Amino acid sequence: MLETTVELSVSLGLQTCVYLVIAYLVGRTPLFLPFVHLTVQWPHRVACWVVFSLFCILGTWLGLRIDEAIANTRAIGAVLGGFLGGPLVGLAVGATGGLHRLWIGGPTAFACMVSTVAEGLIGGLFHLWMVRRGRVEDLFRPLPAAAAAFLAEIVQMCILLMAVKPFAAASHLVGQIAAPMLIANTLGTGLFMSILLDRRTAFEKQSSLVSAKALRIAERAEGVLRNGLTTESAEKVASILHEEIGVGTVVVTDRKTTLAFAGICVAHHVAGRRIGSRQTLDAIAGAKVVFTDAGAVTYRCEVCRNCPIGTALVVPLVVGDEVIGTIGLYEPKTRLFSTINRTLGEGIARLLSAQILAGRYEEQKQLLVQSELKLLQAQINPHFLFNALNTLAAVVVADPERARRLVQNLSTFFRKNLKRPSDEVTLEDELEHVEAYLEIQKARFAGNLDVDIEIGAEFTAVRLPAFSLQPIVANAIKHGTSQLVGKGEIRVGTLRDGDDLLIHVDDNAGLWDEAEAKNGLGLTIVSKRLKNRFGPTSGVEVTCERDVSTRVALRIPLEAAAS
Amino acid sequence: MKVLIVDDEPPARQELRRLLETFDDVEVIGECGNAIEGIAAVNRLSPEVLFLDIRMPRVTGLEMLMMLDPERKPRVVFLTAHEEYALDAFEENAVDYLLKPVDAARLEKTLQRLRRDPTTTLAPFEPEKPLERIPCSGQNRIYLVRVVDIEFVVSRSSGIFIVDREGHEKFTELTLKTLEDRTGLFRCHRQVLVNPEAIREIVFQENGAAEIVTFAGQKIPVSRRFLGPLKERLAIA
Repeated sequence: MLETTVELSVSLGLQTCVYLVIAYLVGRTPLFLPFVHLTVQWPHRVACWVVFSLFCILGTWLGLRIDEAIANTRAIGAVLGGFLGGPLVGLAVGATGGLHRLWIGGPTAFACMVSTVAEGLIGGLFHLWMVRRGRVEDLFRPLPAAAAAFLAEIVQMCILLMAVKPFAAASHLVGQIAAPMLIANTLGTGLFMSILLDRRTAFEKQSSLVSAKALRIAERAEGVLRNGLTTESAEKVASILHEEIGVGTVVVTDRKTTLAFAGICVAHHVAGRRIGSRQTLDAIAGAKVVFTDAGAVTYRCEVCRNCPIGTALVVPLVVGDEVIGTIGLYEPKTRLFSTINRTLGEGIARLLSAQILAGRYEEQKQLLVQSELKLLQAQINPHFLFNALNTLAAVVVADPERARRLVQNLSTFFRKNLKRPSDEVTLEDELEHVEAYLEIQKARFAGNLDVDIEIGAEFTAVRLPAFSLQPIVANAIKHGTSQLVGKGEIRVGTLRDGDDLLIHVDDNAGLWDEAEAKNGLGLTIVSKRLKNRFGPTSGVEVTCERDVSTRVALRIPLEAAAS
Repeated sequence: MKVLIVDDEPPARQELRRLLETFDDVEVIGECGNAIEGIAAVNRLSPEVLFLDIRMPRVTGLEMLMMLDPERKPRVVFLTAHEEYALDAFEENAVDYLLKPVDAARLEKTLQRLRRDPTTTLAPFEPEKPLERIPCSGQNRIYLVRVVDIEFVVSRSSGIFIVDREGHEKFTELTLKTLEDRTGLFRCHRQVLVNPEAIREIVFQENGAAEIVTFAGQKIPVSRRFLGPLKERLAIA
């Protein structure tokens, strides 16, 4: 009896080894990935059911026939299925394994089926108990799993004793297989769990390594591309990526030229060249990630004949809908392009794109604030007010009626100034503002300023951003006619140019100075606001005949500005 | 007290004149609309007090002061609509500055200050930095001619003329003395200043005088009296 038990234990132990080798091999495949984390998602539960049912069946199949019964390691699959997937999965795995056992037949078949279901349920109850106690991490420890298996085996033996008739046969059978099966299943479950644990540790180590790398790149690249893609920022990015990712070569390009290189074969490449590589051009044209493997389509270096580079991954930098450049990662022919680097490269390119976008957003925001501020200043320009009051003080004595009209002009001007810069107004409205302004200036310069406003009647309803025209007229006086000794002339008019409307302000000074105008910001802001509203074809255009005349024109597409 | 008003806004001039004429001891001898007219009027009328606007076409009131003949500098009261100019104005040793619109009571105080010590003239201005651009009158406008573009300046009975490389002449109200003191132009004749940078050659003549030929090929007389200093200036032994 003892000899048989020892013999059986050794045989079952050997079978368990075969079983564990299979488990180990399967563990190397992605099949095990769902089990490295605790999950309640149905697809994972289903996967859990399928995989452990198969192990359950494997346990039966590898089992040793003893008389009509089978000494087996079926319990490992059932217990682990329940242990990792919960009671429901445990039941399902137990039922599947049990049905398989029933299908094989024999006097103990039914009892074995029932006990397998019970084993699955026991694993599931362990799971439930641990989750309730908040000891989720213990689910991946071999010892509790082994304990569950031990308990499950004892229950199985009890069921066998109760269900198999006659009792004498049952007790004989249990006497033979109890010890071997208790040992094999308990040890097997524990070892199986430690295989899973190893796999989990390896996976976590790898992903933490990649995350650490990605985080370090993100940290180092922070802010580098805030001001867009320039040769300087591209060089920084290239060297960071080369150091951190560790690929052969990193190349950063904009849409047309290569901006920076880092890595091997750099000597042959000169930054500033037009892009020659097909992959890069494809990536830009299609806004897609291009990968060329040395095996399939060989990467052909456009510069040097014996270029060591064999594999290329080119990721476009997409900002909005626009490809503004690419990041290329290249590996030499002697090295394989790792999947991790591929994913990492794509992710980093996305990160950098987001950074550029953030930079642009920041710039836009700043511009907006700046222009709002500037306009606010213009609205309550104290110089203008003082000059106007000064004029009024003189006129009120000499010509009270004129003074009354001036006060009216002044009040119109300030009423129009109450508009928010973001408002949109009709040309007619804007002209009222300008006229009030010009009346005050005319009084200020007495007979020294002539004003002529001629607007085509068909354009008066055209809509444009508030404060577009008034700053232009103010400029024409401040930097134009007020610098003349003799008579100044201001003409405001409209012209049609194809599909565009030109609203122009002319002065007879011809003193427009490009550098000065840029410093003044006034025209720049008006131009940017028009472009924001009407697109890149609109804006402010200046023509100046030195010492003769200056014309500043607002170009507005009529279709977009129709009321 | 003879007063000249220089301001580019006619209503402002009119208003100040009205206020000033309420005082018996004040005589407004002229009004000017810009700095060039102002310089000419100062040279012509020798006012005792200048009421001078700061912001004017092309040449500001402060710049205009720098261009006045140092021997004929009147006392100055600055006019400004903008407080921020006040500090600058005092650096120029102005007697006072008035904010526009001018308040009658405040003007009275200014006049008292002027009366209190009528003899003191303004401390002579230290020429801080040389003039870089010379204002010249044209029809309806003021040209600012860069000193580097000038070949020479000549004084004729009709006035002072600036001659550039193309031989174009422009009339300026600045005196030869001011130009000599405040620019790098060098006296080579009683009536001529030359830009030393423009000299290509000097042809010595038998009578001890000489003639300068400029890079543009223009010829300028050098009198005997100024030949020595010129040679010294050009480091010719």
